[in-house]
Order: sequence, then structure tokens, then C-alpha cells
Amino acid sequence: MNTKLRNGAAGQPLPLIDGIEKVTGRAVFTADLDGADCLTGRILRSPVSHGRIVRIDVSKARELDGVVAIVTGTDCALTYGVIPIAMNEYPMARDKVRYRGEPVAAVAAVDAATAERALELIELEIEELPASFTAAEARKVEAGQLHEGKPGNLEREVHHEFGNVADGFAKAALVHQESFDCAEINHAQLEPHAALAEYDPERHRLTMHTVSQVPFYVHLMLARCLEMESSQIRVVKPFVGGGFGARTETLNFEIIVALLARAAGGKVMMRLTREECFLTHRGRPNTKVTMKIGLDRAGRITAVECEAVMAGGAYAGYGLVTILYAGALLHGIYQLPSVKFDGYRVYTNTPPCGAMRGHGTVDVRHAFECILDRMAREMGLDPFEVRRANLLEAPMYTANGLMVNSYGLAECLDKVQTASDWHDRRGRLASGQESRQGSRRGLGMACSHYVSGAAKPVHWTGEPHAVVSMKLDFDGSVTVLTGASDIGQGSSTIVAIAAAEILSIDIGRVRVVTNDSVITPKDNGSYSSRVTFMVGNAAIEAAKALREKLVNAAAIKLEVAVEDIECEGESFFVKGANAASQSVLSFQDVAIAALALEGTITVKGTFTTPVKAQGGKHRGGAVGSTMGFSYAAQVVEVEVDVDTGQVRVEKVWAALDCGFAINPLAVEGQIEGSVWMGMGQGLSEETHYVDGLPAHASFLDYRFPTIAESPDIDVQIVESIDPLGPFGAKEAGEGALSGFPPALVNAVADAVGLDANFLPLTPDRVQAALIKLRKAARRKEAAS
Amino acid sequence: MSEFLPDFRLVRPQSLDQAITALQSEPGARLCAGGTDIIVNMRRGLVEVETLVDLSGIADLKTLDLDGNALRIGAGVTLRELAQHPGLIGPYQAIAQAAGLVAGPGHRQVATLGGNLCLDTRCLYYNQSHWWRKANDFCLKYHGDICHVAPKGNRCRAAFSGDMAPALMVLDASVEIIGPDGARRVPLAKLYREDGTDFLMLKPGEILTAVHVPVQRGKSTYDKIRVRGAVDFPLAGVAVAWRQDADGAHLFQLAVTGTNSMPINVDIPAPLGKDEDPDPYFATLEKLVQKAVSPQRTSTIAPHYRRLSVSALASRLARALI
Repeated sequence: MNTKLRNGAAGQPLPLIDGIEKVTGRAVFTADLDGADCLTGRILRSPVSHGRIVRIDVSKARELDGVVAIVTGTDCALTYGVIPIAMNEYPMARDKVRYRGEPVAAVAAVDAATAERALELIELEIEELPASFTAAEARKVEAGQLHEGKPGNLEREVHHEFGNVADGFAKAALVHQESFDCAEINHAQLEPHAALAEYDPERHRLTMHTVSQVPFYVHLMLARCLEMESSQIRVVKPFVGGGFGARTETLNFEIIVALLARAAGGKVMMRLTREECFLTHRGRPNTKVTMKIGLDRAGRITAVECEAVMAGGAYAGYGLVTILYAGALLHGIYQLPSVKFDGYRVYTNTPPCGAMRGHGTVDVRHAFECILDRMAREMGLDPFEVRRANLLEAPMYTANGLMVNSYGLAECLDKVQTASDWHDRRGRLASGQESRQGSRRGLGMACSHYVSGAAKPVHWTGEPHAVVSMKLDFDGSVTVLTGASDIGQGSSTIVAIAAAEILSIDIGRVRVVTNDSVITPKDNGSYSSRVTFMVGNAAIEAAKALREKLVNAAAIKLEVAVEDIECEGESFFVKGANAASQSVLSFQDVAIAALALEGTITVKGTFTTPVKAQGGKHRGGAVGSTMGFSYAAQVVEVEVDVDTGQVRVEKVWAALDCGFAINPLAVEGQIEGSVWMGMGQGLSEETHYVDGLPAHASFLDYRFPTIAESPDIDVQIVESIDPLGPFGAKEAGEGALSGFPPALVNAVADAVGLDANFLPLTPDRVQAALIKLRKAARRKEAAS
Repeated sequence: MSEFLPDFRLVRPQSLDQAITALQSEPGARLCAGGTDIIVNMRRGLVEVETLVDLSGIADLKTLDLDGNALRIGAGVTLRELAQHPGLIGPYQAIAQAAGLVAGPGHRQVATLGGNLCLDTRCLYYNQSHWWRKANDFCLKYHGDICHVAPKGNRCRAAFSGDMAPALMVLDASVEIIGPDGARRVPLAKLYREDGTDFLMLKPGEILTAVHVPVQRGKSTYDKIRVRGAVDFPLAGVAVAWRQDADGAHLFQLAVTGTNSMPINVDIPAPLGKDEDPDPYFATLEKLVQKAVSPQRTSTIAPHYRRLSVSALASRLARALI
């Protein structure tokens, strides 16, 4: 849907249209909503990792003055979940608890102090069962089984082979296999979870304000779990302070607060603590990746074999999609003649994992890019050259049926190679003068990619994937209505730019109204980087429909044919006419003329994924399918302290092919954010459970990088102009993430000769690995 | 949101006398200055207190006198002021460096020297929510009867994590204490004992009011081991002071924080001779540090790492001072 740009709104750097509210503090987030007449909701959580609930007695709590409502697992007998075929989680545990921190009951009281006291008065008796905290423990025969019918605690296994892997390895000149252990991480979005539920006991209606990325899913799950007509529910999303996948699924507290509001017959506010946000989790699972790659003499990949084992936590959640993504997104970036994937998603007695930025692909991409680098070294090839030997040629379909329509990876490689002065600096930094005392420097690189929206939504209804409504009224303003959730990524701004561009109007004339189920059209939500592509295209289509009406009105007024009308910079005129002539109409004139014909104008645009983009025919083949992939290459420069194991990132060069940068300022921000989040996973972020209790559940203990660790990031944008993308655009918010951890590990190898097979590269792990490396070197020396 | 902050009464005395009276008249009252430690602990249910005596209104606590090179710092001086003080250079440099490395800029703006010297000890099993600690049967430091770090031991192993103490200890600092029985002055090192639950030798009703540092020669420095370059408490921190004697030999003083329940002085037996080969000397120094410290499983980062890194850091800092 490549549209010729008319007035230059698209492609210009523009501060986000909701930025002023955020930087001035005027933005109202869910927790800021008026809580004056609200009850306070609090959740009682399981103190044990695995056990059978023998008794929950709330009678003493109920007697406490100020307690208005108490709910437990008996108040909701229906499961919820993001994948219709894999909903095995109750908002509050019913028969069994499966992780420490799982909700078992909740209280609504007049204030927080009373609610806290009430929680202490609830008597909870649990018969403990054996618990497993790692995938390896959980898969043992003697391990306690979390869910019935799931022996070995195996939630889902995936076995795919495309092409003939055995033949591929037979043809290889070099075959290399390694295993990587990538720690579980969490989104650590800045805004803690919160929800405000109001139940109208007279009309039996529920209004919900929540922090969701996908209010539509919340709407569905509230209707299901509260057994209400969905028409009686209204879901509103206020400003949201970050999602990163944490809020794609409906979360247990959202259903619990609604249950409390109904039980109380009123309004309940629930604000989760940071610890509770970590317990709610849905982060990236610990993944053990074993991968084997074959290369021919020219460095071309002949075969790939990959096994991924994920410790998914206590419930299914998004798990089956995560494990499918891990296999599917091995494809789509390099020419791969044969690929075998074996994936295992395992239940563990820890908080459930879910979707997180770069969903499914990050840890397998990490293994892939690390191994490719080590093989290049062994073959005497430059890391850039080995990637160039395996580039795709668009348009094409991958072995697993994914459509690749545009491909700017070659240009990304060129840009970061030149910008980082790779030829002159790589391999020469280790002994250079630039390092601090006791430290060595190195350069590493890696590539990555990501989907621009899943071509098939998990809740398949047959509807268009996106609908945008647009309204023009007597005041000459254009209102865009969308259910797409701006969670900080700038999606509302994209919609405004699309309208301004197509209508040739000033962006100040456009207002974007979002995320109120009684006002805005349904949207599938902000996940899988779908909004720019799908909602952007729908917005373009809506704006075109509106423009058609305006051009028609202008043609009538100027008494010429529709084809003779030009529209540019808020003016309509007859083609070829002098700008000063009588035949120029202002936007306001034309708007009045158009309204005279039919009154307030409302139009809509939709986007439907073409069937050709919907992936392979094999089981799970829809996962990974998309209209277009973004591509990224990056170079990371590190300094490693050989005594303390501290790894410092000195500089990053990143280039991303986002098709077309509708808002280059936002694209730059998204690339920096992706690199930075990848850096967190690479350097220091990890969860850590002590017998199932989180030892990471604060921003002090969950160590995402601070500004002190944040390097200069040189960002370059590559525009491959995707044939289906809005103005040629693809996604920009995830693609650059998964290249960072492998580029980091490859840079550490360049600096100190350590091939690290673990994430994150915390100083204790690096120091221990360096000691081991030095001992091995000494043994080798002694032997020779 | 943050965890629930229980109700309490805040008393804001304008003088030390008023503060002492307030402490005496309200049994169980606790002192508060910047609040960056105690308020967080109150939210986590680690401090049950009806009255907080806020010292931030007492002007006497906020002075810093650098006179003829001897130094007196009021306990209420903020870490930001110390980090930016133009006089804290050369022999006093470790003080400014340690202050500048505490937590983040927002904390240093309000956190005080006295607060950092009296900072509560920290542990993986202690600095958690009420729900967490209750699910783990509490611990020796608070409401429990077992130390999860060393279950067979009989004392709490929580780690002292203040950055200021070692920087001042290597300068032979002493502290001024005022209480119901009058004023006393003790060497800073004697303020502490090796017990995570009861690590401060302050009597009930006593207030630490100032730190005295005698005239110094030479140079000093401080640095610490942590995963991130800001916010994190020290996994281990080390201060080194250096001077030369009349014969040109190098004398070092060394103190470590974060590895024990108290900040510890590391004894360096002999000076490094003027023409002595420094490599074996510093190798010995590293061994001495490794032997002196006793990091425990109070954090998710292994004790072994903390021991090796702090010794490497100590010798690196010492070498850089020569």
C-alpha cells in the first residue's frame, strides 16, 4: 500500500503528539485516576511454590470493620488466558497453587491499612507438594506434576524440519555446535500495574480502567470470567507507562479487581507493588539453546539444527506461541536451505512467563549469531563477510513459508561497518592504549530481525485486522478514532501523521482518540509490532475515504470534474490553475461544502492481512508469519576488566531497516530503546528465585542498566520501502533488540578471548569464566 | 505503587537537646535524617515505629569545618555536599569519592553522612516485603529465629553496606556522640560490631553528631564493586590511604565495606620500601585482603566473587596512589 507522499507530514521527525502531557506530568495514568470514592483492593498470595489448598477461611477478615468485599478462587470457576486453546489459569487459585505469589484471595476495604490487616486475618491452609524451579528439574520422572495430563511437565513440544538437515551437514566444510543458557528476564516497565473497576449494581454494568496493551483481550476475559454480556462492559486505557509485552495478556489482577468491584457493588482501585509486578511477570523465560550450524567453504549456511528448552513458569500463558516463534524466526533473515527445530516448553513452579519484546526470537538469535561468529573466526572469515555470504533476495518465501517482501540487511551491514571503522579497529583494540588499567577492549557485531505484526491474530474472528474511524465536523477538525494502544511507542502519532499526510492538512488539525471501548473501534492491540503496519494502513485508507469526499465537494463547488482537483497544503484547486486565482478553496471552505452534502462526515478504513503473508501450512505455521520483517545490524564496543569481570559498553552502532521512517524521531528512539533493552539482557538483567521466592523483585535487585551504563548509540535508518507497508514502513520497535546480546558476547571474545555461553554477562560470571579460561591456557602450556 | 507506608508521628526538633528529649520521651522512637534508608524499610515492614525524630531541622548538624587541614563534618551534611566539596581532595579525596558513589543523585541530595554511617545492614533474606519474609519464616534479624545465610550459626550475617565508613576509617576518623549522659568521642572503627542485628555500639537515646578527621598527609581513594555503575549498594567497597615516611617508604591504610556485618580495617603489616619490587608486595596485600574479609550469601552475587574482586580492587587502588 505504497502511497505517494504529498505534503511531507510523513517522513519528518515529529515529537510524539502526547509528549507534552508526559513531560509536564499532566498525563493521567491509571493509578492517577480519582480514587476519592474508591475502595482499595489487595491480593493475598500463596506463600508456597506448589500445594493443594486445604482450606481458605475468610470469616475473621470479613468481620473486620472497613472490609467491604472478599473474593477467593470459588468466586471464579472459569480459566483465562491469551490463547483460546491453552487457557489453564484461574484469576485466583482454586484447588492448587503452583507458584509463590499466585493470588488466592483478595480484599476490598475502605483503605490500604484495613485491607492489609484483613489479608493477615485470612486463614490459608495448604498441603505442600514437591516443587521444581528449573526445566531440568521439572522434566525428571520424579518431579511433582503441575498440571494433570502433562507428564514430565511438558506444556508443549514442537518438532519441525524444513529441507534435509542431514544432507546439509554432510555438505558442510565446518560444523559447529554449542549450548547457551539465557537467564529469565522481566520487562521492568516503569509504570507499576494498576486497575480501577467500577460496577454499577443497578444496571449490572462494569467499567474498567487498566494498564493494558490489548484492552480488547481484557474485555473478552472480563466477559468470560465474570460471565457477563460483553455489551455490559466498558474498557478504557488511560496513559500507559510501558508494556514491552508485560500487558499483552489479560493479567490476573485485572479480573480480580473486577470481581471485587462486583462483590462490593462499587468502585475498587488496585495498585500493585513493584514486587507484585514481578510476581505477575510474563517475562522472557530462561531458555537453554543447543544449536548446530554447518557452513560450506564460502561461509554459506548448509544446515541449522536447534533445540530450545524454556522454563515457562506455572501456567500456559503465551508459552506455545513463544516456543513456536523460537523455531519460526530462525528463518527470515539468512538463506537457510535446511532447518531442524526441537522446542520444549516446560512448566515450572515459578511465575508464568509470557511475551516480551522480541518475543521468542531473542535467545535463539543469540545462539545463532554467537556460533556464526565463532565459525567465521575458525574459517578465517570476517564476521561481516560470513553474514553477507548468506543474505536473502526479496521477494521470496523461506523454507517454512514466511514471506519476505523487502530486505535492507545488506545496507544495514554496510552502514554499521563503515560507521564503526570496523576494518581498522577490530582485533586491534585488545592491545590498544584506549583501555583503562587492567582492561581490554573489543568489537563485536550481530544481525537480527522481527515481524511487523503477526499475520494471524490468536483470537481469529475473520474480521479485518485493524479498523480506524475518522470524523470531520463543522469545526474543521479531524478526529481519528482508534483502539490501538499507545504504550509509549508512538502509535497515536503515526495515526495522526497518516491522516495529515493523506489529507494534506496540518497535523495540528488532527486529534487522536484512543482506547475506550464505547467510542473507539476494536483493535487487536499493541503486540508483535503490528500497529504501524496494520493500523497505519487502516488510517491511510480512512483518510483516503475522507479525502475522496472532500475532493468531491471541491469539484462541485469549483464546477470541475473530480479528476481535475488537486489538494495540497490545506488548499484545493483546479489542476494547473494559478495559486492566486479564484479557483483555490481553503480546507475550511471545502469542509463546509462537504458537510452541506451529508452533515458530519464519518469514514473508516480497514486493513486485512493478505493470505499470501499468513505463513506455512504446517501445524503452528501461522506463528512468525508477517507482512514484512524489519532487519538490523549492530556493532558493539566493549571494555572488559580482566580482574573484576566488569563489562562496560563503550559505544554501539546500530542500523535498522524499518521500510520507511514515518516518524524518524520515534524510529530513532525505538532503535535506541531496543539496543538498550538488549543491553540489559546482555549485561545484567535476570530474575533469581530462592526456593521460588523472587530475589529480584525491586528496581534495586532487578538490575537493568542505569544511565551510568548507557553508551553513546549511533543510529542509522535504512529504508527498503516495503510494498505492503504504510508509506513503505515496517516495524521499528523490536528488530534491533536481539542483535545486542550476541554482538556483546562477540565483542567480549574479541577483547579477552572468552567465548561466553551464558547471559547475562554479570561480573561474577565473567570473572569465573576468565579464571577458567586462564587455568585451561596454563594447563595447555604445561602440556606442550 | 510503593508498598504501604504505615502511619507514624514525625517530631522535628530544632536543637540537639530537643532531639535527645524527644528520643527519651518516646520509647522506641527512631532517628531519621534523609530518610533514604529508614522510610524504605518502614514501607517493607522492617521498622515498626510510632515516632520518627527528624534531625533535618537542626542547623548544628549541617556544618563542615576544614580548619588547618583538620576536618569536622556534621552528621547532617548531605552526601551530595561531600561529593562536591572543593576542600575534600588529596588526603581527604576518599571521602568525596565514597559520597559520590552512593546510590543515585536523588538519594545523595538528601542522604546524610550520619545516615550512611548508621545505615542498616542488608541481606537478601531481610530486605524483602512482609509477604516474602513471612513465606520464608522470617529471619534472625527480624521476627525470626534462624539465619538463612548461615543456618548453623548463631548470629545474623547481614552485610554492612555504607560507603562512608571505610573512607573515614583509613583517615583515623572518630565520631562525636551525644546522649542522655553527655557527649563522648570514639574511634569510628569502634562504632561497629560484627553482628548484623546489633551492629552499632550506640546506647539508647544516643545521637551521632559529627565526624572528626585528624590532620592528614598523602592521598586517599575509594572505589567499590557492584554490578551497575549507580544505584547498587556495594558488593564490596575499599578505601585506601597512602603516605610516605621520612625514608620514602610507602605506608598504606586499608578498610573494606560490604563484606562483613561491620566495616573492617585490613592490617597492612609493613610499608613498601622505597626501592622494593612492588609486585610481590601487592600480591601479598591482595592475599591479606582476601583473608580479612568474610563475604556471605547475603546477595545473589557469590561471596567468592566479592572476595576476589575487592582484593584486586584494593591493590589496584593502592598502586595508583604511589
